Amino acid sequence: MEHIKTVSTRNLCDSAKNGGCGECQTSCQSACKTSCGIANQQCESQNK
Amino acid sequence: MVHQYKLGGYNIVLDICSGSIHVVDDVTYDIIEGFEKETREALVDSVAKSYPEINVDEINECYDQVQELKDTKQLFAPDSFEPMAGELKAKTSGVVKALCLHVAHTCNLNCEYCFASQGKFHGDRAVMSFEVGKRALDFLIENSGSRHNLEVDFFGGEPLMNFDVVKQLVAYARSIEKEHNKNFRFTLTTNGVLIDDDVIEFANKEMSNVVLSLDGRKEIHDKYRVDYAGNGSWEKIVPKFQKLVEARGNKNYYMRGTFTHQNPDFLEDIKTMLDLGFTELSMEPVVCGENDPARLTEDDIKIVLDQYEKLAELMIERDKAGKPFTFYHYMIDLKGGPCIYKRISGCGSGTEYMAVTPWGDLYPCHQFVGDEKFLLGNIFDGVTNTAIRDDFQACNVYAREDCHNCWAKLYCSGGCAANAYHATGSVRGVYKDGCELFKKRMECAIMVAIHREFGE
Repeated sequence: MEHIKTVSTRNLCDSAKNGGCGECQTSCQSACKTSCGIANQQCESQNK
Repeated sequence: MVHQYKLGGYNIVLDICSGSIHVVDDVTYDIIEGFEKETREALVDSVAKSYPEINVDEINECYDQVQELKDTKQLFAPDSFEPMAGELKAKTSGVVKALCLHVAHTCNLNCEYCFASQGKFHGDRAVMSFEVGKRALDFLIENSGSRHNLEVDFFGGEPLMNFDVVKQLVAYARSIEKEHNKNFRFTLTTNGVLIDDDVIEFANKEMSNVVLSLDGRKEIHDKYRVDYAGNGSWEKIVPKFQKLVEARGNKNYYMRGTFTHQNPDFLEDIKTMLDLGFTELSMEPVVCGENDPARLTEDDIKIVLDQYEKLAELMIERDKAGKPFTFYHYMIDLKGGPCIYKRISGCGSGTEYMAVTPWGDLYPCHQFVGDEKFLLGNIFDGVTNTAIRDDFQACNVYAREDCHNCWAKLYCSGGCAANAYHATGSVRGVYKDGCELFKKRMECAIMVAIHREFGE
């Protein structure tokens, strides 16, 4: 019986190896201007 | 670190350091809760007592599956990021890739709750000249290293009060971007009063994003967003926003509202925006001083937390009805979201992101403008106050003591430095009310994402 469903997510540990290109949007720039959160930012790396 | 919660009929388990998300049944949920605290025998025994109808073999099966997730580092994954946090942030620092250009420190509205004190940022009225703006764009290119995408936000005050300069600056940027192998992405943040056909055509051609200030219900909007004669602006701006958005096609925009003590029930304002035909929405809690009547009280925050859950329900209902909408803080890309560098570094204020005043001074971000302690330098001489820059450079989520044991740290990256400073006197503090709201938003956003993946 299936007790656990795992959502497909980006592996953060792996992203430590090839992340950090810096091309993604500055978090605050898009709409909020008064708070910070990065979860809603799109990754723009060509080399994920 | 694991965070587990129940929402929208789902038992949700987040493994913070791997980024894994699991949806589990009730028995497995309880096993995960006790997994690191009890022996297998004791845990299986206590869970069996809670679920007398479930066979012990099945409980053991759940236990084995949890163990398997742990073995494959999808659950209880150790935090391997802390030792490299400074290094990770350094990799994304040292270049400037985004500027908030304060093209007008003046405004045609007189909103009492404005964090920028009616656009003047606690100083005199001023507008940016083309020469200063041009130098700011050159400064950005000179300091952007190998970054290809550069962001420039036309901000104020009200940027359309200096629209000619905005147009000239965009033309200048377009004329030089190719030779420097850059791509400018512009944003315009406006109260809408001066929108006309010329603005609409220009904004829809040149702006990657427009942020349109609307607080929702007319009576709510008109309480604060008034002109200098005290007249509300809702009637005037809504048709202009509708016209702009209709002509915009698929390009990004956000209707961006502020909620205050007068409308912690901000879901009604979201519904008003939807009724007006807008689908890309953002509502933010007011940022203001402790004694400001607009400030959200403790009771308001309880209402807001409940509203966030109801907002998630509304999103699911609208999905089902084929009328989806976007809420900025519920956008979450689980598969392709930010890498660990971004999650540790945060918004980049004071390092990759800076604000430029009408006369060319540099501040760590728009919210610090006017507070001279934070003056970084200027676009002519560059950053001269290296102590402040270094302070922001060292500001990563692991540098904030209060974030250490927080499950949301890799979703929020330590929060807003300005909010932290105003709440605690230190950019490395945390703004606790903001944290509480942020955590609820993340729980809701993840639940909606799960529903979109697994729901009927």
